[in-house]
Amino acid sequence: MLKYTIRRIIGMIPMLLLISFVVFLLAKAMPGDSLSGEIDPNNTDPEYIEEMRERLGYNDPIIVQYFRWVGGFTQGDFGKSTRYKVPVADLVAERIPNTIFLGVTSLVITYILAFAMGIYAGRKPYTFGDNIIGGLNYLGLAIPSFIAAVFAIYFFSFNLGWIPYSGSVDPTLQPGTFDYWLSRIHHVIMPAIVLGALATASYTQFLRNDIIENSRKDFVRTARAKGTPTSKIYNVHIMRNSIIPLVTFLGFDIATLISGAIITETIFTYPGIGQLFLQSVTNRDYPTLMVITMMLSTLTLVGNLIADILYGVVDPRIRLDS
Amino acid sequence: MKKKSLLLMLTLLLVLSAFLAACSSGENAEEPAENDTETETPDDGTEDEGSEDDEASGEAQQGGTLTYGVDSAPEGLFNWAFYGIVTDADILALFDEGLIQYDENLAPEPNLATWETEDNQTFTFTFEEGVMWHDGVELTVHDWVFALETIADPDYDGPRFANVQTIEGAQAYRDGEADSISGLNVIDDYNIEVTFDKARVNNLVNVWAYPMSRAQFEGIPVAEMSASEQVRTKPVGLGPFKVDSITPGEAVIMTRFDDYWKGPANLDGINVQVIDNTTTVGALGNGDIDMISLQPVNGEEVEALDNVEVVTYPGLSYYYVGFKLGTFNSETNEIVEDKEKYADVNLRKAMAHAIDRQTWIDAFFFGYGSPVNGPVPSSHWIAADPEELATYDYDPEKAKELLAEAGYEDTNGDGFVEDPNGEEFVAKFSHYATGNPTFETRAQAIVQFWQEVGINAELEMAEVNLYYDMIEKDDPSIETFFGGWGTGADPDPTALWGSDQLWNYPRYKNEESDKLLADALDIEIVGDDQEARKDLYVEWQKMIAEDVPMIFIAQLEEIVALSSRVENVEYDVSGANSPHEWSIAQ
Repeated sequence: MLKYTIRRIIGMIPMLLLISFVVFLLAKAMPGDSLSGEIDPNNTDPEYIEEMRERLGYNDPIIVQYFRWVGGFTQGDFGKSTRYKVPVADLVAERIPNTIFLGVTSLVITYILAFAMGIYAGRKPYTFGDNIIGGLNYLGLAIPSFIAAVFAIYFFSFNLGWIPYSGSVDPTLQPGTFDYWLSRIHHVIMPAIVLGALATASYTQFLRNDIIENSRKDFVRTARAKGTPTSKIYNVHIMRNSIIPLVTFLGFDIATLISGAIITETIFTYPGIGQLFLQSVTNRDYPTLMVITMMLSTLTLVGNLIADILYGVVDPRIRLDS
Repeated sequence: MKKKSLLLMLTLLLVLSAFLAACSSGENAEEPAENDTETETPDDGTEDEGSEDDEASGEAQQGGTLTYGVDSAPEGLFNWAFYGIVTDADILALFDEGLIQYDENLAPEPNLATWETEDNQTFTFTFEEGVMWHDGVELTVHDWVFALETIADPDYDGPRFANVQTIEGAQAYRDGEADSISGLNVIDDYNIEVTFDKARVNNLVNVWAYPMSRAQFEGIPVAEMSASEQVRTKPVGLGPFKVDSITPGEAVIMTRFDDYWKGPANLDGINVQVIDNTTTVGALGNGDIDMISLQPVNGEEVEALDNVEVVTYPGLSYYYVGFKLGTFNSETNEIVEDKEKYADVNLRKAMAHAIDRQTWIDAFFFGYGSPVNGPVPSSHWIAADPEELATYDYDPEKAKELLAEAGYEDTNGDGFVEDPNGEEFVAKFSHYATGNPTFETRAQAIVQFWQEVGINAELEMAEVNLYYDMIEKDDPSIETFFGGWGTGADPDPTALWGSDQLWNYPRYKNEESDKLLADALDIEIVGDDQEARKDLYVEWQKMIAEDVPMIFIAQLEEIVALSSRVENVEYDVSGANSPHEWSIAQ
C-alpha cells in the first residue's frame, strides 16, 4: 500500500508539470493581458502601461516567462496578483477558509441526504416514497444551480426572510464569538444546499440503484436463506457493496471542496476560491490563475489517489498489494 | 392532464431559465466591457459648501446607520494612491478625502488646503490646521510629501505617476538621481511650496492631491505597501467616517469619526455591503440597502418600488462609433492618415445621419442617457452649446443625399451602394464581445441603421481584451468601431485627440486641432481666464463635429437608488455631496 502510494505520488510530478505548461500556454494565449483593462486617460497614460508590461516581463518570450514562473513556484514563490497587488498565497489563504467551510457543509448535507434518501429508496423501490425521491432527484439534476440559487434567494430571503442573500457572515459581529459562528452557518446553509443539490441527486440515484441491484444477488439470497436479519443484510452485506461507486466520487469531492462553485459563490456574493478563479481569468491575473489551477490539479490527483486507496478499504477484493 | 401541466411547468421553467441567464450575464458583463466609461475622478463625493453645511446639519436628524450597496466586490486597495477600480474609489470617498474638491461645475475649490499662485508654475498650499487622521495624528504637509514621494518611488506599482510627473524633480527622484523631489519645498507643518516643471493651466487639477498617513506607513517599503494591512484591511483616512472592520470581498463597516474637521457626521455609521446584481432589486425592496448605483437595466424595476427613489445625475462618459482614418507609428509617435476607405467626410456624415440615436438609447439603455454631439459630455463646463455644433440628427433621406453627393451609388442593383469607383462597398463595424448578450444586439442595430440607407454593413464581434489590442495596433480588420470614453475634472482631451497619442483611436490628425488643444493649455494665451479656455475648446469641438472622425452616440446618466428614509444626499456632475451631511429619517 505504501509502495503503491509513493509510486503514485512520484507519478504525479510529470503530470503536474504538463498541466502547468499547458495551462500557462493557454492562459497566455488568451487575448490581452492584465493591463488591457486600464486604458483610461484620466487615470494613467500609455507610458505607464508599457512600463508595467516590461516590469511584469510580458514582453519576454513565452518560454522564458514559463520558466521564470516555474522557478519561482518550485521555490515557494507563488508571485503577486497583478490585480489585487498582494502575494497570491495571501489572497488564496484569505479565501480558502470560506470555500472549505462552504464545501464541507455542502458535502455533509449531500451525504446525509443522499444516504437517507438512497437507502430508503433502495430498500423500498417502486413505492410511492421512492417515486417522490426520484422525482425530487430529477428536479435537482435538471435545475441548473444558478437558477436554483436565484429562486432560493427570491423565496427564502426576500419572501420569507429566513436566510441572508449575500456575504459569508454578519460583518458587525466579533470574530470567534458564538454568534459569529452561528451567523456563518446561517449564511452558508443556503449556498451549501444549492451547491449540493446536484451531487445529492446523483448520489441518491447511484446508491438506490446499487442497493436494488445488490439485493438481487446470490450472496443476499444466501444470507436470507441463512436467516440473517433483513436489517443486517442491508446494513452490512448490501451497503458495503453499494458504496463502492460513491467512493470514486469522494476523490473528486475533495477537489470540489476547494474549487467550490463559481456560480453559486458569485450569486450569493460568497467570497471564495471559485469567485477568485473566475475573476483571475477575466482580469488575466496570471499568477493567481496559475496558483489556483495548480492547487486544483494537485487536489484532483490526490483525490483520485485517496479514492483508489479507499477502494481497498471498502472492498477487500480490490486490495492493491500486500 | 397531469402530464400536460407538468410539461407546461417544465416549459415555463426553461423559458424562465433562459431569461434569467440572459439577465444575469448581461449585467455582470457591463462593467469591464466599457472601456472606462465610468471613470471616477477620485474627487467624487467630497463636494459641499461651508455655509450650506451648517444649515444642513442643523436640520438633519442625527444617528442611524446607512447601508451602502455595491454590486461588484472591491479589490481591497483602500488607498487613493493604490486603488484600481471604481468600487474601491466609491468606498474610499466615504472615509477619506483630498486637499482639493470639485464644485458642481467641476471647478477646483479648497478642501483640506487652500492655494495661491502667481504664475501657475509655483503654488503655495496652506493646510487646514487641526485636521486629524483617524488614528489621532494631525495632518501636516509631510503627509502629502510622503504621498508624492511614494508615487514617484521606482518601486511604486500603481498607475498614478502621471499625476506627480509634472512636479519639478519628480522624474529625477524616480530615476534615482535625487533623494527628494526638488519641486517640493516644505515651509512649515502647514505650508508647502510646490514648483512644477513648467507653467500650465491644469497643473493644479492634475497634481496628486491626496495625502497619505506617514505615521501609518512608517517602515513599510514602497514595494510592499499595496499588500500591507494599512491599505487593505486597516486603512486610515481623513474623512467623516472611519473604518472599523473589513471583511474582504463582502463588507466594510464604518463608524462616525468624532474628530472630523468639519464636525461630526449626522450618521452613526455606514455599512458597505457587497451584493450580486441579481439581488439588487429585492434587497432595495426589502429595505436592506439604502443606497446603491444601478445598472440601466434595473432602473425601471426599482422605480416601481414604493420605498425607493431613483436619482439620476449627468455622467461624464460618452459612447462613439469611430472611423479608422490612419495608422499610428509607435516608434515615432506619429499618426499618418493613410486609410482611404472613410476619408470622404460626406460618407462619414451620411453614416452619422443614418443612426437613430434616441431610439437606440431608449432600447439599450432604457432611456437613461441622451444623444451627445461632440467629444465632451454636455454637463461638462467646456461643453459647447449643441446649437453651435454641426449635429447629425436621424435623417435617412439626408444620409442618402450625402451618399449620392459623395459618389456612392447603387450601380449593380443589389440594394446597396457601391463606392465611387464602382466597387462593392461594405462597411465593417466592430464591437467588443463579453458575456453580455445585449452587446451584439445593440451593435447589430447600428449595422441595420446603415443598411437602411443603402450602405452594406457587416458586424464583427471581437473578444473585449483582443478588441482594444486590435484597435491600438490598427489591425486592418478594424474599420469602424464602437467605444466609450470618460472625461475627468480636467477637460484637457489631448491624450485622446493629439496626433502623437496612442489612444487617439481614429488616428485623426489635424494640426489645427493640435494647436487649439495646445493653446488651451498655454498659460501665455489663456492665463487664468476659464472663459478664454472654454472658447478654445468650443472652437475645437466645432472642428471635430465638422470633421466627424467619430459618430458621437450617447452620453449616459449615472443612476442611483436611494431609500426614502435617506435624506440630505445630493448629486451633481461631480458626484454625491460629502457623506458627513447625509442623514436618515428616524
